[in-house]
Amino acid sequence: MKVDIRELGQFNHLASQGAERAAESLSQLAGVQMDVDVTDVSLVTENVLAETFTDRSFVGVELGLEGGLEGETVLAFERERAMKLQDLLMGVTDNGDSEERLAKSSVTELGNIMIGGFIDGWANHLDTAINMTPPRYTEANGPRILPDQAIEAAKKHGVFLFESKLTGMDVDLDFSLYMLPEYRQFVQLLSGNDQGNQIPVNRLSTFEELAKEGAGNAADQIGMMTGLDTTVDVSRLRFVPLGGVPKQVGNDQFVGVVFELTGLPSGYLVVLFGEDSATTIANAMMPGGGAEEEIGEMTEGAIKELGNIMTSGFIDGWANVLQTSIEHSPPNFVHDMGESIMSPVVGKLGQQQDYAFVIDSTIEIDGNTGQCDIYALPNERELARALSALPARD
Amino acid sequence: MAKRVMIADDSEFMRNLLREILEDDFEIVGEAENGVEAVDLYEQEEPDIAMMDIVMPIRDGIEATNEITNTYDDAKVIMCTSVGQEEKMKQAIKAGASGYITKPFQKPNVLNEINDVIPA
Repeated sequence: MKVDIRELGQFNHLASQGAERAAESLSQLAGVQMDVDVTDVSLVTENVLAETFTDRSFVGVELGLEGGLEGETVLAFERERAMKLQDLLMGVTDNGDSEERLAKSSVTELGNIMIGGFIDGWANHLDTAINMTPPRYTEANGPRILPDQAIEAAKKHGVFLFESKLTGMDVDLDFSLYMLPEYRQFVQLLSGNDQGNQIPVNRLSTFEELAKEGAGNAADQIGMMTGLDTTVDVSRLRFVPLGGVPKQVGNDQFVGVVFELTGLPSGYLVVLFGEDSATTIANAMMPGGGAEEEIGEMTEGAIKELGNIMTSGFIDGWANVLQTSIEHSPPNFVHDMGESIMSPVVGKLGQQQDYAFVIDSTIEIDGNTGQCDIYALPNERELARALSALPARD
Repeated sequence: MAKRVMIADDSEFMRNLLREILEDDFEIVGEAENGVEAVDLYEQEEPDIAMMDIVMPIRDGIEATNEITNTYDDAKVIMCTSVGQEEKMKQAIKAGASGYITKPFQKPNVLNEINDVIPA
């Protein structure tokens, strides 16, 4: 089965609108202003689901979909956020007491309304009715908050995971909305008819595994050059509206390198370290070489060198599997806010595409003392072409 | 005399919210948690208006509305639901709904819709 990238973009757009409506609903019901940062979609495996949800405790609102789109969907709040929401919502009614049943009912109804906002857009796009089963309140740790059906699908062939990040504007209430439509039916909806822009769906998971290997190589290289322990914390292949990428990276200060990729696929690769991580790494790379407490020439040289090696390790794997050749430019050192670093990159890619496959990997350095984020943004059409050209390996 | 209203919604939170919105201006004759209870309550009370959720267990709000409006020609049912799909709205109208409001709603929207359906 093949996925038409334009259809994937269309569903992502609808999900994004759904998230906006969900945020508006929340604002109306709970009296808090919410902003939607970004909505992305990824085809995720069981491992990625585990990485995404592990070590967190969730409250979920789960409901089934029937008719035009089938599946189970869940809206997951981290428990702490759910408790805050309950407090806000209980303030809306006149009950005074914090009766547990009513508190759960309030979150359930909020989830129902928010999920409804998503489903309506999809139903209208498909010109059909999607029936929702009554919402169910659930509590679980880790990926067990997800419907069993989704976990089974993730084990077998992966599952599409829509994630919208909502941020409280006047209250500390950041959380994510997760939607998981039934895999087979959703792939059929994505099949479209644009032959030139289709990717066999199983190649997406191949590419995701490849990205994971690339992140693993990059982590090993940091470890080898610094002697610090490194692990890949999260690595995901996301499909995002390009305009949302800078926002996703955020406003923190980063130090890093930007590479332009040429070949098939072309694109950009950005390696970012937090400022503290960058100096820690630079000092570890040059023991006795004059430690810097702030970002200076030594740190710049070290980060450029490390970025070069990491990038080669990252893209060599792509080139080998895609049976193409990919080159990268010399490193362009950057030290700025995340959004400011990513905006020019996105601006250049945006001349050719509205959406991007972003490989987003986080490498944890020396326990949780440092972090490295890698964003790879290949040209969408070229990636589709390269993936489609691969020999079938079902 | 205040108009008589019934509320059908599987969410206790939403029933409470609607009750608070309506109780100053209307007599609330009862609440139902599913479509079967909604039909029973309507038959028992024959209210002036029924506020009906769509997604409910056992029997959904559209089926319940269909049964009520088939039995009572002058029944007034307002769907108040999180579902804003065009197809669902068509189904609700076909089932005999007189109005449709989408959650989350605020007091003026609810009162305006009721006023449209049963002018004071």
